[in-house]
Amino acid sequence: MRPVTTTATTAASTGVEPPADGLVVVVKQDCPTCQLVAPVLGELVDRGATVYSQDDPAFPPGVEVRDDTALDASVALGIDVVPTLLRREGGRETARAEGWDRATWRELSGVADLGADLPDWKPGCGSRTHDPAVADAMLVRARGHELTARRVELAGLEDEAEALYDRGWTDGLPVVAPTPPRVLRMLAGTTRAPDEVVAVVPPNLVPATVEKVAINAVLAGCRPEYLPVVLAAVEAVCAEEFNAHGLLATTWGAAPAVLVHGPVARRIGVNSGGNALGQGTRANSTIGRAVQLVIRNVGGGRPGEVDRATLGQPGKVGLCFAEDEESSPWEPLSVGRGVPAGTSAVTVFATEGPRGVVDQISRTPESLARSLAVALRGVGHPKLAPGFDAMLVLSPEHVAVFAEAGWDRARFTAALAELLLLPPEELARGADGIEEGVPEPTRPRPKFRPDGLLVAVAGGGAGKFSAVLGGWVGGPGGSSPVTRVIEEA
Amino acid sequence: MHDLAALEADGVTATFVASSEFVTATDAQARALGFASVPAVYVAHPIQDRTDPEMAALADEALPRVLAAVTGASPAG
Repeated sequence: MRPVTTTATTAASTGVEPPADGLVVVVKQDCPTCQLVAPVLGELVDRGATVYSQDDPAFPPGVEVRDDTALDASVALGIDVVPTLLRREGGRETARAEGWDRATWRELSGVADLGADLPDWKPGCGSRTHDPAVADAMLVRARGHELTARRVELAGLEDEAEALYDRGWTDGLPVVAPTPPRVLRMLAGTTRAPDEVVAVVPPNLVPATVEKVAINAVLAGCRPEYLPVVLAAVEAVCAEEFNAHGLLATTWGAAPAVLVHGPVARRIGVNSGGNALGQGTRANSTIGRAVQLVIRNVGGGRPGEVDRATLGQPGKVGLCFAEDEESSPWEPLSVGRGVPAGTSAVTVFATEGPRGVVDQISRTPESLARSLAVALRGVGHPKLAPGFDAMLVLSPEHVAVFAEAGWDRARFTAALAELLLLPPEELARGADGIEEGVPEPTRPRPKFRPDGLLVAVAGGGAGKFSAVLGGWVGGPGGSSPVTRVIEEA
Repeated sequence: MHDLAALEADGVTATFVASSEFVTATDAQARALGFASVPAVYVAHPIQDRTDPEMAALADEALPRVLAAVTGASPAG
């Protein structure tokens, strides 16, 4: 992760070149320690030192001071604390003392009796470059050149939320204005270059750079540490086999959802516990939204245009959660999808959103598997098989029934597959008085294609409820789930 | 639409057929891709519940317009 502060910037980025050789001191008047050391600064200047003052060119009085109220020198020198004493040789820093430490200052300056009347030690103050009131301006001045997106100026009387909605950049909810400082802070969440193309985004097949994804992550309300997850999810959604264009253009209401795997989930706070599929957790609420905003704002996928959903569903704003890998008795879903254990990754899948499944009575795995199979049969339509993919989210209380009976993930999915091999006489068009169905089926048909049913464990500790997240047409012609390792996590 | 553009770029004359519900989607995509016009042929919505004879009738009805779209001729001709 690149630090958000301006300390990583170089002299070249500010256009200010500090002295190549000699001692440099950076101070500010609004710092008791700087005032304490003021008496020794004149002596150092007399010996060739350069003093920069961050807030008052007349401080300290009677000393030749360079005006650094613009903070260019401070940025170039990477000043975090004042006072800071530096030794530079050949344009490079060779020694640094932060705050007042008499012994170190004497060693650095070569003045044996420097500050004899001062205390041995006194900590310094924060550099003005870290003052929140000026940090944004500093950030833009130092790194604003990295941004290439078109700048949009809002009139003074325009309300930000209204202006962004009016320009068509939102999903209907208010968004965070992607100001240059916010976008730069977001970009600090990745080591990838802002101009690197992440993916070509359907439906208009527009290249999305890291910068464009970061802008949409700001709009969605993400924190910088979410950005690697958003980037991986955007890559996954734009993979050929995910078929985001088809998913958008279908009249079915499914949309991309993001399942986060591995240690990154806990580190950035993606909820896998209580209300994992609901509201209230920033990472869950904003990561999926950022992906959807990329499709809208970069790819041009908007409802009423290429998005032809008949009804849609609330998850189209964004749906993201994590698998509870720590308390799950089973290996993570990601491992079965080829991701090494302990590696952070995302899986994107098409879903119409969750529907709860109640079974508070079953104590045997056989009974509970039958309950879940009955619920899964309803995906799309109970008489269509195979057809749509699905995700089954098992709650901790439900998965415990299987684990306590010695069922692992493989046995569970095999049992479901057997239970969901549906008899042709039940699937046929007209059967059960329903015209919908399979035309002239002759043999049992599986409800789901191979790998068409994903199973993850998530949810709060109490509740014998699981959730079925119905999908869309699976495989070629439809959408296949896509898993991508998060390179930076 | 992307396939249409790719085919035309390769010198293959192309059109596409969709139901009337997709006119606005076509318009939006055409604007995004910079198409001045799209040789699309629309048939009556819906499609999904059509019987085979109904689909055949729709295809028969659309055929002159499909031929016109790829030949530039008048649908009536």
